Amino acid sequence: MGENSGFSCPEQQRVGCGLGGIYTALSIGGVLPVLHSGPGCIHAMNSVLSLSNGGQNPVPFMELSVPCSNLSEEDVVFGAGGKIRSVLEHALRYYKAEIFLIITGCSAEIIGEDMQEVADEFSTPEKTVLPVALPGFKGNNVWGHGQILSALIDGFVEPYGERGTVKGRVNVLGVVPFYDPMWAGTLERLECLLKQIGLEPNILYGRDKGIQELKRIPTAEFNLVLAPWTDLDAAKKLKRKFGTPYVHFPYMPVGPTAEAELIRVLTETAALDVQKTESIIKDRTDRYFYYFDRNLNWLFDMHNQRSLPREFFANTSASAALSITKYLVWDLGLSPRKIFIPEDVPKKHQPGVRDLFLQTAKGYLKEEDIVFTDDGGLFEQYLKDVDQTVRKSAVFGSIWDDITAKKANMPFVPVGTPYGDNLICDKNYFGTDGALCLMADLYNDAEKKGLLSAVI
Amino acid sequence: MPIDLNQEEPQIRELRTRSVTGYDGTLKDITQQGCCGCLKNKKRCFTTGSYCTHLPAITSVLGLPDTLVVDHAPIGCCGVEMTFSGGYSMNEPFAPGEYRDNVRMFTSKLTESDTVFGGEEKLKEVVRGAFHRHHPKEIYIATSCTSSIIGEDVGAAAAEMTEELGIPVTVLGAAGMRSNLWSVGFEAHFHSVGKTRFRAPEKKTDTIVYAGFASVASEAVEPIFKKLGLDMAFLTAGSTKEDYEKACTARVSFGQCDVDASYILTYLEQEYGVKYFHLHQPNGGIGFERFMRDLGGYLGREKEAEEIIREEREKYREKIEELKPLLKGKTALVALGAGYAFEMVRMLKELGMEAVHAVSFHYDPLIDATEDRTARSPVADAEELGIDYPVTVNNAQEMENYLIVKKYKPDIVVTRAHGAGSWSAFTGVPCLDPGLGINIIGYRGLYLFADALASSFRNTAVFDALKARYVSPFTDEFEALPPHSFYAKAGEEGVPHKPYKKSGEEVLSWERIADSPARSSRE
Repeated sequence: MGENSGFSCPEQQRVGCGLGGIYTALSIGGVLPVLHSGPGCIHAMNSVLSLSNGGQNPVPFMELSVPCSNLSEEDVVFGAGGKIRSVLEHALRYYKAEIFLIITGCSAEIIGEDMQEVADEFSTPEKTVLPVALPGFKGNNVWGHGQILSALIDGFVEPYGERGTVKGRVNVLGVVPFYDPMWAGTLERLECLLKQIGLEPNILYGRDKGIQELKRIPTAEFNLVLAPWTDLDAAKKLKRKFGTPYVHFPYMPVGPTAEAELIRVLTETAALDVQKTESIIKDRTDRYFYYFDRNLNWLFDMHNQRSLPREFFANTSASAALSITKYLVWDLGLSPRKIFIPEDVPKKHQPGVRDLFLQTAKGYLKEEDIVFTDDGGLFEQYLKDVDQTVRKSAVFGSIWDDITAKKANMPFVPVGTPYGDNLICDKNYFGTDGALCLMADLYNDAEKKGLLSAVI
Repeated sequence: MPIDLNQEEPQIRELRTRSVTGYDGTLKDITQQGCCGCLKNKKRCFTTGSYCTHLPAITSVLGLPDTLVVDHAPIGCCGVEMTFSGGYSMNEPFAPGEYRDNVRMFTSKLTESDTVFGGEEKLKEVVRGAFHRHHPKEIYIATSCTSSIIGEDVGAAAAEMTEELGIPVTVLGAAGMRSNLWSVGFEAHFHSVGKTRFRAPEKKTDTIVYAGFASVASEAVEPIFKKLGLDMAFLTAGSTKEDYEKACTARVSFGQCDVDASYILTYLEQEYGVKYFHLHQPNGGIGFERFMRDLGGYLGREKEAEEIIREEREKYREKIEELKPLLKGKTALVALGAGYAFEMVRMLKELGMEAVHAVSFHYDPLIDATEDRTARSPVADAEELGIDYPVTVNNAQEMENYLIVKKYKPDIVVTRAHGAGSWSAFTGVPCLDPGLGINIIGYRGLYLFADALASSFRNTAVFDALKARYVSPFTDEFEALPPHSFYAKAGEEGVPHKPYKKSGEEVLSWERIADSPARSSRE
């Protein structure tokens, strides 16, 4: 949402500020953010994106080991160029990292600290220092993620990246680490699938990912954006810089339909062995239905269609909402009622995102049912006027909606930030395997809330 | 200096209690330096992220029934609330099966243009919107670094909204850059809520006030005070207006620690004559006995106090003695806030363990309640019990704590919430959250602590596995450093770089800050 336009009443925070982009940096091995910000900024991000987001922290550089100038009132008056130089100088000596990002928060930006000068001063052939301005007043953590990617591409990938094109190599874009609470498990599963169908995925974030993956970016045959709008700008930038074409598959696939679609798109794009990929689709779909069929008694004989939730609301990121909408509508037979997207989707992307929901929802959604907002509490207010006497709809959202759903006794599944004060580990809803997990989470919560016995 | 709730926010601890966040030495040395008024703060040339006042201020207020908070800040700052609210407030227990409402947390979402043109109109719009959405009985507007730097007159906006909406709308001082001590946020919470709720009492009642994060486990102490003829009133992050009014009628008070509670309990003593007991905290057996004797003496109920001490000691004696052999000879390193670090060391010693080092997240040479610098609980421990041990003061500087843990190789790190636990576990050293508040009071608290410690030593497989796998993400140069390597040499830190100047605006002068250090920089 643009500045001051359509301004509402922002409640129930579901995003971090721009500074939250550091989680993208902390997900790439060998990259260390060095903060030029207030002492508590790291904690404000940590609360939403890490601790209360499935209990996940970055490794190996956990938040409280991240260098920070801890700006004080005095620094705001006198400037803190000396302070950040000193912190950075020590950080370069103490941390095993190759890329150091000087991140400026609100205070440093308002007082006009020039970090390009500092970066130039400390960069060496072995260690790259880059400035990234991430003041919270300029945007949220999704914006911050884009800024980090952009800075890495311009400041590191371009000068130090490998050249040439490797057949079948594909950069995976679209996932915002931590903001997608299931990012780590999802990317691992995706990597396995892409390898299985004959591609060489280049995934930037997570276990064992780092500098090497960044360097490989220019050598990809194509880029794959798996999100409705995030990283589209990065894909365009890579196209401009390295001429790499990109495929926009607008959601991380959940369920057999989406997974098969993705495999077919990639088969065509990369001219993969059709016979092989079709057999993989068949095998994975068969496995999904083997496990699905094992639930038929529970699903349709014992509880039947009347007591299971048949409709749903989403109040989460466009990425998470679109992925689950695809599965629920195309595979599980639920209908969307209204989709709230409280993540400040930039105005230029809103029409595209709206169209994607309209297409994916098979006509069950009207234009006004897709709500772009910065107010996470809007859904709770809306729900007050929704008649639920006949059937309980499911809710997909964050910990905030958990409480809203509990009070309304509606089945609930967390899919977005802040995920909750529980452990997410490697949990994911990716593809056919993940869809089974999502189905179980949905119906188990309905069962736990006593909804299924309502018809007896 | 008397506490004045008419100010917008509390004066910071660096000025009020002369608090420091940089020191290394021993308990005897720091207490002596504190007492003679010569304790100097050591600045650092290398620092890591910490905490700020925003979190304690906001999370404490959010749990209060029928209130809401509007954060006058960019969108990220109010994210701090998730840690202790997680949607609903976790500050107070609630019955199984009961679902609380989401906490009501709004943000004015300051943008770049607001930093130029101001965001007060927008703030008022959000306050109005929040009021009409939830109809709270009180609204608190939290300040932030950004709102302070750009010089927003939040006080004027609050006054205007109070008049317009007909409910108290109060400023909550939460600009992180004001202080190096996040605990100032706890005081900001009590300051603003106290300002809104305290009323001069019509009569005194036989009540003891407990101020702390929560009233969790109140059932464990209420019967004890009943024996002294005292009811309890709780000033916590879940208190009602009635709780605050009852507190004004009380005769005596104590707090969960002398950091969190001292500000507001000093105010109660100053304004309403509620005697505040702070020299001896009632934690563990020794602390409990000293505290009960102080209290019994003041109330003229020495005999009842002695009876309570005997009963409590006897009730847990056998249980504690059974656990002691499991703890004998074990070493611990404590890393906690200033109100708890020294308390936990004493409790460890009571259990026969050795505390090899204490990291205190800050140190207060003074307490709000008195100008007597010897009236501090760490001083009491050093002098009355004659104990001494190495002490570091840092505001959760985890790279420093990492090196301290590495040097002392303790059997366990007793810590909570500020990163030391994660890093000690990561490197394979067992760690334990020792609990806080009512759960560490008296012999019951000592027993719970002993049991938790014994459980930690019973099976250390998880830490052993982590230790075997640990690969340091830091360089050999760092790993070879002695602790306390990050103090700035003279002239290395705080070097004036360039003065802050926004186009067409007055340059801030150091004098202006120094003259009114308690206030935001641009009132």
